[in-house]
Amino acid sequence: MTLQECYAAMGGDYQGVMGRLSSERMVQKFVLKFLNDGSYDLLLRSMEEENYAEAFRAAHTIKGVCQNLDFTTLYQSSSQLSEALRNGLSPEAPALVEQVKADYTKTVAAIQAFQESIGA
Amino acid sequence: MNRSILADMLGEEYEILEAENGVEAVSALQKHRMEIDLVLLDIVMPEMDGFEVLTVMNRNNWIEDVPVIMISAETAPAHVERAYNLGVTDFITRPFNALVVHRRVVNTTLLYAKQKKLVSMVADQIYEKERQNTLMIDILSHIVEFRNGESGQHVLHIRTLTELFLQRLSLKTDRYQLTPVDINLICIASALHDVGKIGIASEVLNKPGRLTNEEFAIMKTHTTIGSDMMDAAPVHGSEPLIRVARDICRWHHERWDGRGYPDGLKGDDIPISAQIVALADVYDALTSPRVYKPAFPHEKAVDMILNGECGCFNPLLLEILQEAAAQLPEYMQGSGDHARAAQMEMRSVAQEMHHYEELSASERTLQLLEHERMKYSFFAAMSQEIQFEYTVNPPIVTLNTWGANRLGLKETVMDPLHNAKVDAIINPGSLEGLIKALRSTTPAQPIVKYECKTLHEGEERWCRIIARATWSADEPPQYTGAIGKAVDIHDSQMKLAALERLASHDTLTGLLNHASAKKEIVHRLECSPDRQFAMVIFDLDYFKNANNTYGHIFGDNVLKFLADRLQESIRGGDIAARVGGDEFLLFLEYGGELEPVVSRIYHAISGSKFEEFPISLSMGVARTDAVGTDYETLFHAADQALYKVKRSGRGAFAFYDESMVNMLSVISPIDGGHHEEGENKQ
Repeated sequence: MTLQECYAAMGGDYQGVMGRLSSERMVQKFVLKFLNDGSYDLLLRSMEEENYAEAFRAAHTIKGVCQNLDFTTLYQSSSQLSEALRNGLSPEAPALVEQVKADYTKTVAAIQAFQESIGA
Repeated sequence: MNRSILADMLGEEYEILEAENGVEAVSALQKHRMEIDLVLLDIVMPEMDGFEVLTVMNRNNWIEDVPVIMISAETAPAHVERAYNLGVTDFITRPFNALVVHRRVVNTTLLYAKQKKLVSMVADQIYEKERQNTLMIDILSHIVEFRNGESGQHVLHIRTLTELFLQRLSLKTDRYQLTPVDINLICIASALHDVGKIGIASEVLNKPGRLTNEEFAIMKTHTTIGSDMMDAAPVHGSEPLIRVARDICRWHHERWDGRGYPDGLKGDDIPISAQIVALADVYDALTSPRVYKPAFPHEKAVDMILNGECGCFNPLLLEILQEAAAQLPEYMQGSGDHARAAQMEMRSVAQEMHHYEELSASERTLQLLEHERMKYSFFAAMSQEIQFEYTVNPPIVTLNTWGANRLGLKETVMDPLHNAKVDAIINPGSLEGLIKALRSTTPAQPIVKYECKTLHEGEERWCRIIARATWSADEPPQYTGAIGKAVDIHDSQMKLAALERLASHDTLTGLLNHASAKKEIVHRLECSPDRQFAMVIFDLDYFKNANNTYGHIFGDNVLKFLADRLQESIRGGDIAARVGGDEFLLFLEYGGELEPVVSRIYHAISGSKFEEFPISLSMGVARTDAVGTDYETLFHAADQALYKVKRSGRGAFAFYDESMVNMLSVISPIDGGHHEEGENKQ
């Protein structure tokens, strides 16, 4: 699996990220690093603990990272979620959390497949 | 993760400090502000967000020399506008483009580096120009004095006196609206007051005897010659320095009552600059030798001026002279040294600057600062103590690494007065006490020693805090925080407490000893003279037999046994002490009947047995309502009651009454009788 195929599998914008960060080595490095980012766990935990300020920051961080890496699908849902949490819990937030969960799972699966294929 | 992407983009050209949140960012700025070239700042962060960081940077004026580029996914125009209003240089929105970020960082740092260099160059230039200005004026006025045959000290004295008077005047009144800039100008211009003497013929100027009227008239023209010279100054006639110098040259011989020269100005029509220089000129002329007179001592000179022997001065200035009189001679002494030192310094600094053209004065200061900082952090790391720095605004405590580890805190703690972790270490009351003590210091005496309990790993420990409050240079000074250290004194404090306990207690029985019991009793008698107390003295009958029959160790055990029984039978507030060999003292407060209380205690002990030895007591009691509250009287009365019991066959208790007034005593030295009874006390 190539990095480009990985982006296709998760619904990301490979051309976009290469245009901005310009080095495939760097993009690959950060794509792999995404697996170790704790923001997603923090998001789920904060939602459970009903700490919505923390949840907002976590969603916001995910959104920022996705934006930088052009993980378009996950970017969209995490962006909507962070707006839905900006002023505390709003009615649409729980559904968006589910959406983020689904997109995150898909994104991570794609990256893991890519990771295996390059033997990293 | 966003931070590491950015760090990667900027690559190895930059040294990057990462901060996880706003608090860490502020702390890094506080520590490394002089070295930080650029801040890349996010908005949404834990603990403290980007706008709050900017607010702190504004409050401390850091924003003026540390450029900030804001990088955020927040693109709402309100956010962007707010960021620019708070002084950010640039705003980059996510997702960022590697090239754009890199380029903007380069541009901004270059711009600021150039600006810093220029600022430092301008500062150095101004500094240098100022020195040269003063130097030129000094040379000019020295020429005049040289011609005049004077020492060359006169000009320096005038400047020193003028400065002193002006400073005191500006503290005393705002009538003359003197700014620091004005004061500086007047001081520099004061050196030129006699510059007109250059135009006076030397026969007149240096005539040893008294001047004739014509000669005096010529001499007087040095004022107008000086002012004409200033008026004629080409090009710079409108410079403030020239205008001030003109006023001083022309009017420094005017007098408050209008009887001076050349214009006969009166009162505050004479500019304050000229009034002050006139006073300084007269004082220095009096205290310096002249061809026509010796130097007068300082006191005499001041008296002559105050008595109006040297013309009439502004009453306000005379007041100032009077107030400053005491410190004047020392001050003048200093001025000579100071001036010489300044000249030496001027020469060596100038040489230095030529040697190291690329090394400017401000850069050198930075290097010195850096060296001091290195020294400080080295010693802080070596010493096993908690060191801290506290600033009121923003409220932050910074700890040394060792201290932070020891306390289990971060090295930087925001808002320490409202922090649960801090509260768990030192209770809020103690912390408030410390802050209060710091706030009530003065800039002259800023040191506070404060001892309190702290909680370390669940254990209460005594700790001594030595801190120095920091005060700003403002007028009046503002309390800005403190630096200090905390030392664990628990072990030594505990040793002290143990020693105190040892010194106040009887080692055998653990009861109080006589001296400390007396102290406590006297204290209680003084505090509550209206309450009812009883003093009980008792001893053990036939104690000598116990010692003789069973040995001293047995005797000691009897005493211990007795002390234990005694403590079990009294109340918590009562005082029990061993006052001598087998003599004991009890001091108790009572409300109703005393007799049952004494009886109960007596029978709790007397009549029991220690091993084979029967415990039997003789006991005497004295009451404050019968004999008053004087300790010695009370003790003596109880002693006499005890004697009565002894005489009547022991094994009982008795209350003191009037009939015992002439009784002998068991304990007091007036009595020798009881020794016969074999009750010798060791």
